[in-house]
Amino acid sequence: MVKMVNPPRRHHNGKLDLEFELRRGITRMPHVFQQPPLKASRELYEGKDPTATVYIMESSGGMVAGDRNDITIKLAPDTRVRLVQQSAMKIYPSHTGETCFYKLDVDIAERARLEWMPEVIIPFVDAKFQVDTTLRVAADSTVLWGEIIAPGREKRGEIFDYESFRSNFKIFVEGDLIAFDSLHFSPRQLELGGVGVLEGAMYIGSVWLVSPNIDDVDIRAVQETLRVEEGLQASMTRLEGNAIHCRWLGRDQWALQEDMKRIYALLAKMV
Amino acid sequence: MKRQKDDLNNHSNTVATPTDSALLQLFQIHDSAFPIGSYTQSYGMETYIQEDKIRTKDDLIEFCTSFLFNNLVRSDAILIQEAYAAALKQDVDKLLELEQLCGAMKLAKESRDASVNLGRQFIRTVSPLGTDEFLAEWKERIDANSIKGHYAVLYGIYSATTGVSMHHAVMMYLYASLSGLVQNAVRAVPFGQNTGVQAINELIHPVKEAADLVSTLTIENISNNALGIELASMRHEYLFSRLFIS
Repeated sequence: MVKMVNPPRRHHNGKLDLEFELRRGITRMPHVFQQPPLKASRELYEGKDPTATVYIMESSGGMVAGDRNDITIKLAPDTRVRLVQQSAMKIYPSHTGETCFYKLDVDIAERARLEWMPEVIIPFVDAKFQVDTTLRVAADSTVLWGEIIAPGREKRGEIFDYESFRSNFKIFVEGDLIAFDSLHFSPRQLELGGVGVLEGAMYIGSVWLVSPNIDDVDIRAVQETLRVEEGLQASMTRLEGNAIHCRWLGRDQWALQEDMKRIYALLAKMV
Repeated sequence: MKRQKDDLNNHSNTVATPTDSALLQLFQIHDSAFPIGSYTQSYGMETYIQEDKIRTKDDLIEFCTSFLFNNLVRSDAILIQEAYAAALKQDVDKLLELEQLCGAMKLAKESRDASVNLGRQFIRTVSPLGTDEFLAEWKERIDANSIKGHYAVLYGIYSATTGVSMHHAVMMYLYASLSGLVQNAVRAVPFGQNTGVQAINELIHPVKEAADLVSTLTIENISNNALGIELASMRHEYLFSRLFIS
């Protein structure tokens, strides 16, 4: 009898290159390159708002050992873009021991504006994941960026059961590195719940804002509105230059996400 | 690179055991009487103290150990190591990169400001003590405001000029950082002096272990997993009354 052997699974290498330009006062996306499983919707508009809203989709349902997604986003001067992830980003168990890579490179030209409020990143049990995000921003452009990291499939009892999670997040303004947020979590080697680390929190939320109008944001006043309760802590700080960072550590996803979206919307309105 | 003092000229940067003079210089810059203002910084610890999370010696040791392994080891200590190596090669581009990285990774404004304030006070204090040209050039950049002057990078450069080994420079930095925190906790909690002495003594082994770990790490390992401490540093700005600047 011939033994059937499953051929090794080919890794996905999703690619998405989106370029936005201003055409007759409206932001359009004339250049799109997409390679499955990544896809982008066409531009959508709300009423007379010239801001282009584009949904980013991942048709495979999640990333598996060794998969790779590369996204580049370019905003030409004066464009206004809102990017929305259609669903949570799931990172499946790494049965081969290989790491999934997700790379996001964003260039925002003069006076352009980008808003990105992604869904939650969920690393499943035994998942290995690395995300490298680089924002290159002109001094007079605006970017509002959010990120939420889950401990795993919490409702199934998968809490920090992943193998490794690395996130390297950088913001350059006019070529100067003003923020570098680097998380390297290996729960089997590091007691994440300990004092000074996550302290019982399971979800990590971050919002980053770079804007020439940053002085219009009264950080202390916004800080005072942050929801602080048992299992949820948050704070804001001024970064180098025209930038603000806000971080949440929470036990409950919905409480964290609700407050984060509220602050995100508040900041979006202020700048 | 020209050494700080003529009598240090026969010292090697690469030997594991520093010469007596180099070692004494290292002790001097970490002496509590050395005026760079480290006693004014708590790096978020004061937030924990005000929230009544540091009440006992064990709480203090737990906080310091977390700060050591989840913050210092993977940020300042790696930067010191990289700056030391770059200073030996007089690699200005690398040092400028480290300088920017040091500021960018300190997200909490008060921690970032503390790093610059300590750095600038440090270079002002050590400059008259020696004649190293490379260090003097670095000071000119700070004076001209072309760079901020972050402490960890300056400390790495200075250590390279003294002849002390990289390992001892890193280890002493880690020890002095924790010793400063403990002394500040003794004043702020407050604890008795003996409790402080015992806490520092219990931290000696973790500091040695941390210094050994740093020697295995590179710039690729830079990270900040101490999100709780970072959040406490951010919230420190908004505390009603404060003993410390950060």
